[in-house]
Amino acid sequence: MAITDDALHAPARGGADPDELILDAPHTYRVHTRAYTDPAVFEAEMRRVFARTWVYVGHASEIPGPGDYKTAHIGLQPVILSRDDDGQIHVLVNRCVHRGSVVCRDARGTANYFRCPYHGWVYGKDGSLTGISMRQGESGYSEHFQAPAGLLRVPRVASYRGLIFASFNPDVPSIEEHLGKAAFMIDNKVDQSPSGELVLRSDPYVVRYKGNWKFQAENIVDGYHFTFVHEGFIKLQEKYGDTTGDFGVHRGSSMAEVRKVRAKGVSWGSPHGHGLSAKPLDDVEPLLRGEFGEYYRGLLDAHGPERLAWIAGSGAMSIFPNLGLIHHQIRVWRPLAPNLTEVTVYPYELAGAPDEINRGWLRSQERFYGPAGHGMPDDVEIFALNQQGLDASAVDWLILERGLDSERPTDDGNLEGLPSGETSQRAFWRRWRRLMAEAG
Amino acid sequence: MAVHEAASARLAREEAEAFLYREARLIDDVRLDEWLELFTEDGVYWIPIDDAKPVEWNTSLVYDPPLRREERVHHLLHVPFPAQAPRSRTVHVVANVEVDPDGAGNGGDGAGVTVRSNQVVYEVRLGDFRQVGLGEVRPIVATVEHRLRRVGGELRIARKKILLIDREMTQANLTFVI
Repeated sequence: MAITDDALHAPARGGADPDELILDAPHTYRVHTRAYTDPAVFEAEMRRVFARTWVYVGHASEIPGPGDYKTAHIGLQPVILSRDDDGQIHVLVNRCVHRGSVVCRDARGTANYFRCPYHGWVYGKDGSLTGISMRQGESGYSEHFQAPAGLLRVPRVASYRGLIFASFNPDVPSIEEHLGKAAFMIDNKVDQSPSGELVLRSDPYVVRYKGNWKFQAENIVDGYHFTFVHEGFIKLQEKYGDTTGDFGVHRGSSMAEVRKVRAKGVSWGSPHGHGLSAKPLDDVEPLLRGEFGEYYRGLLDAHGPERLAWIAGSGAMSIFPNLGLIHHQIRVWRPLAPNLTEVTVYPYELAGAPDEINRGWLRSQERFYGPAGHGMPDDVEIFALNQQGLDASAVDWLILERGLDSERPTDDGNLEGLPSGETSQRAFWRRWRRLMAEAG
Repeated sequence: MAVHEAASARLAREEAEAFLYREARLIDDVRLDEWLELFTEDGVYWIPIDDAKPVEWNTSLVYDPPLRREERVHHLLHVPFPAQAPRSRTVHVVANVEVDPDGAGNGGDGAGVTVRSNQVVYEVRLGDFRQVGLGEVRPIVATVEHRLRRVGGELRIARKKILLIDREMTQANLTFVI
């Protein structure tokens, strides 16, 4: 049954009931404007999405040794990732248990303890409260005082191939179960390193855009937009090819070629909300015989030819709700308000790969990403345009029906489509809907 | 000290200022092909995030050797793209010009001379309050270091390094020439 006009023009009642925000029917998948604009929805997302599932908080290489720490966010909650003397990683809420000040303002550092700048309370590397200044005496705390154990611990912390996730929900499944097929995609990136390790050494790019956080989650696996938003970049490729540092990433140096290249590949929508796009190489021979042949032959020996085609191919992933991997970067998006989002791009190096390769990837990303790049600023511009368009609340629905009738279930529980369809985006919304439907 | 004083005589502050004002005029007038010609053949246009870390492994906001710089100008002049639709308009204010502030040498021997300046670049993309992201005049504040060399008697830029006051922080659209 096709969607009726009545359903398409249902009054906007307000509130965060996902049944009013998602239209899922035969041949139909639409998302309501308010899912991107309504403060009530945003507030509910902080509780029902960000506090309920695994959220990416950092990479092992950012806190390599005992005493290393970095600050991050789970939704709007500020947290500290801290590595203790036994190498264990703790994720602690960055708020003094006394009167609530932020304890640590640094992006990164190394310390033996954390001291609150307000009244000097001290916490250990594992967050335990180790010192209350001026505790005794009449102005201090009596024997009845119940001192908290320390900074509030985020109950679940797990790593996969160096990517660190945390969850406020003690009942989340294992990280492997949550990642599902995304683990295969992450493996394809990490195994570009001969030792299977990514290293975040470069400074990151940080950008804020005036739009909803879900635009970024959708866009990083949106194959459809590339030849339109990035038409200017394709023209640069036509003129300059690889001479200005692309390093062979954006294959295709004419619009026709780009369209052909981008029509290939596969998209998987995961029931856990991830959108995964991959294009394995048709032919690995040129790499094995080329400038970095020794490096690629090493990967061939370790992983075999079939897997090498995936490893050396291209891939992009949107890992629900706040993590992306594409090119040679880890990308994190952080919701600030319904119409404001911060995106951080962390270029990484491949441990054990030749310096020239890591340099090539770095310069290539510098050319496309970052606030002065020839690619990402155009996406940022589009997000602002998109959020502004949603001021037209007179129109209720956004349409996410590309490839809807042709996506097919796979044996491993995903849905398979093409990268220029919207299988990835629908996977996000289906998971979002299930989380938002649970009260709390 | 006498050698140093003699060297200082080779690039007077007036000449350095005139050069910087001319560069700013070319950028603000969007005469970017002429701006490209101000550089030496191996000239670099650099906007670092952290200039203490090697560019080999640390990314920058802009790191443009000659061909990248040419590509950037070509993009701005000849290829429409969303981040510059509408285009940025800039006004450069150049001040605190110092020639050879660290006493490292001053141009006479072909090795080049450092010129420091403080610059505020006001930028706007025209629009009104209803258009998200447009219609805001914003100041881009930086200390700028030009490494200048004489080529055929003319001053040329061997390296222009722009240290934004907030370079480690979140940045907005920087797709125009600063």
